[in-house]
This record gives sequence, structure tokens and C-alpha cells, in this order.
Amino acid sequence: MKDDIRTEVRRLRFLNGEMTQEELAARVGVSRQTIIAIEKGKYNPSVGLAMRIARAFSVRVEDVFALADETLPEATHDHQARDDEIG
Amino acid sequence: MIIRRATTRLADLIGWHPTAATLIGATLVVGGFLLAEANWWFIALSGVGAFGPGILRELGWLRDNDEFARRAAQRAGYHAYLVTGLAAFVLIGFIRSGERHLKNPEELSTLFLALLYFTWLLSSLLSFWGARKAASRILIGFGICWLLFSAADSWQDPLGLLMHSLVAAPFFALAALARRWPRVAGLLLIAAGVFFYVFFDFYSDQRGGLITNSVTAVLLVGPLVGSGVALLGARVGGEPEAAA
Repeated sequence: MKDDIRTEVRRLRFLNGEMTQEELAARVGVSRQTIIAIEKGKYNPSVGLAMRIARAFSVRVEDVFALADETLPEATHDHQARDDEIG
Repeated sequence: MIIRRATTRLADLIGWHPTAATLIGATLVVGGFLLAEANWWFIALSGVGAFGPGILRELGWLRDNDEFARRAAQRAGYHAYLVTGLAAFVLIGFIRSGERHLKNPEELSTLFLALLYFTWLLSSLLSFWGARKAASRILIGFGICWLLFSAADSWQDPLGLLMHSLVAAPFFALAALARRWPRVAGLLLIAAGVFFYVFFDFYSDQRGGLITNSVTAVLLVGPLVGSGVALLGARVGGEPEAAA
């Protein structure tokens, strides 16, 4: 299934100073077409690329991607705060 | 500098930024076909141009595609395998049944090469751009090609040129329709493909023979039917589109 993953890439780009698709693509080392495909839910990135995207936004992978039937956690830029909440 | 800027703007416009390897490969393909007029051995250059970059990428010696482009190419390869394999079995049955003799049997390799490569190309475009955008651009490409052929054929006769050019209008109309109403456009494209197949007798042994007719059908009818099938599967109103 290619559309069972929901993504927050577009929202996170907006929250990160309205980062362009081109800028994000350059940061994670892919083409702009790839970012567009991910945002539209057409392409599920590899684990490595998902981690690079999350790192570009300083959030965790599950803040960017989630299964379609799950609710995405509110994205945070502070890993430590979230970790503190958990443990 | 000006050429480079113009090339970049054109690439932005059509949403496709070919890598250097792809451009070199395309040059070799065209060059091979042109030089084959002098000596058929030069056709091997076209083979190198068409398949060389992919071989180098698979060997890991060329890293000019990201994972999305690689996945599109690999998926297209599987589609090409399925279509060509099915066609091979149908053709084996056709030939072994002994009902008809084929004209130009040496064209068989051309037929399978065309089927393999154009299925791969069409599927790659559909994966890369999404069905609606790819179909729309393929139809615009058809329309432009038709206009160029019309201009080359009837440039001395303005009225004839106008009449010829009008044939391109349905392609442009279908291109617009594919964006807005993909399923309607898909059905019309499949119908147009079937119509062309029957109207031009691509199924018959007339003119160049069945094999040559089939090669032409792959080039003309294939993109229409392939795009049409993809459009039928497109989600209305919200189909993901890959490239800008």
C-alpha cells in the first residue's frame, strides 16, 4: 500500500520558516520531485530518508510520518522535552 | 551561459531535469540511429545509450538518481517485463499455430525492443509525474509532434497546413481533460487507441506486414492506451502528482 502513511512534511516546512521544497531536498540529498511525491503521499521514503527528513526539521521520525489510522503526535523541536515527558 | 539558462528554464517548465548521463545516453541513441543508415553496427551505440546508464546505476558506478527515481525505474522495469513477456507468449502461439506467414520476421527484435523500452518509458513517466500530469504531457507531446509533421508536410499549402493542424486539437483537448476529469479522459484515450488500431489496420498483414505494423502500433497506440489505463486508476480530484 502506498497511501497508508500520513506525512507532516508540508506542515513542518511551513513551521520551519516556510522552507521551500528545493531547500529541503538539498538538505536531505534528494530531488525536489521526491519531496513533492512524499508530501502528496505518492511515495513512502526509505527509513534512511525518513530519518534525514526528520533530522532536517529537528523532530523525530514519528513526528513526520505515521500510519494513516494513527494520529500524528504534535511535532516538537525539542527532543529532550518529549523524552522527559515519556520517561 | 545563455544556452544553459534556457535549458534550465525549459527543464523547469516541463518538470524534468535530466542528468548528464541521461543526456549523453539520449545523444548516443539518436546518433546510433542516424549512423545506422551507414552501417547497422552503429545501432549498438543506441543500445549503449538506452541501457548503459541503467547498467552503470545498477552496478553502483553511477549515482545520479535518488531513491524515488530509482524506484520509478525499477517499477517500470517490472511493468516492461510483464508486458513483453505476455506479448512473447501470444506471438509464440501466433507463429507456431502456422496460420499465417510473417512478412519481415527480422523486425521481431525491433518489435520486442520497442515494446520493452516504450513500456518502461511510459511507466517511468507515469510513476514520476503521476498519471494525470504524465498523460497530459504525453498528449501535448503527441499534439506538438503532429503539428511539426504537418508543418513539414504542408508548409507550402497554408490551407492544407491548417486542415492538417486541426487534427492536433483533440490531443490538446484531451491533455486538458486528463488534468480535470481523468477517468473520462482515460476512457476516451482507450477508445481512441482502439480506433487508431482498427482504422490504420495495425492488426493486418497489409503494408509493411504485421510485425512492422505492430511496431508502429506500439509507438502510436501504446502511449494512448497506457495513459488511458493509468488515468482510469487515478484518484479524481486528489491524485498525487509527483513533479511540478
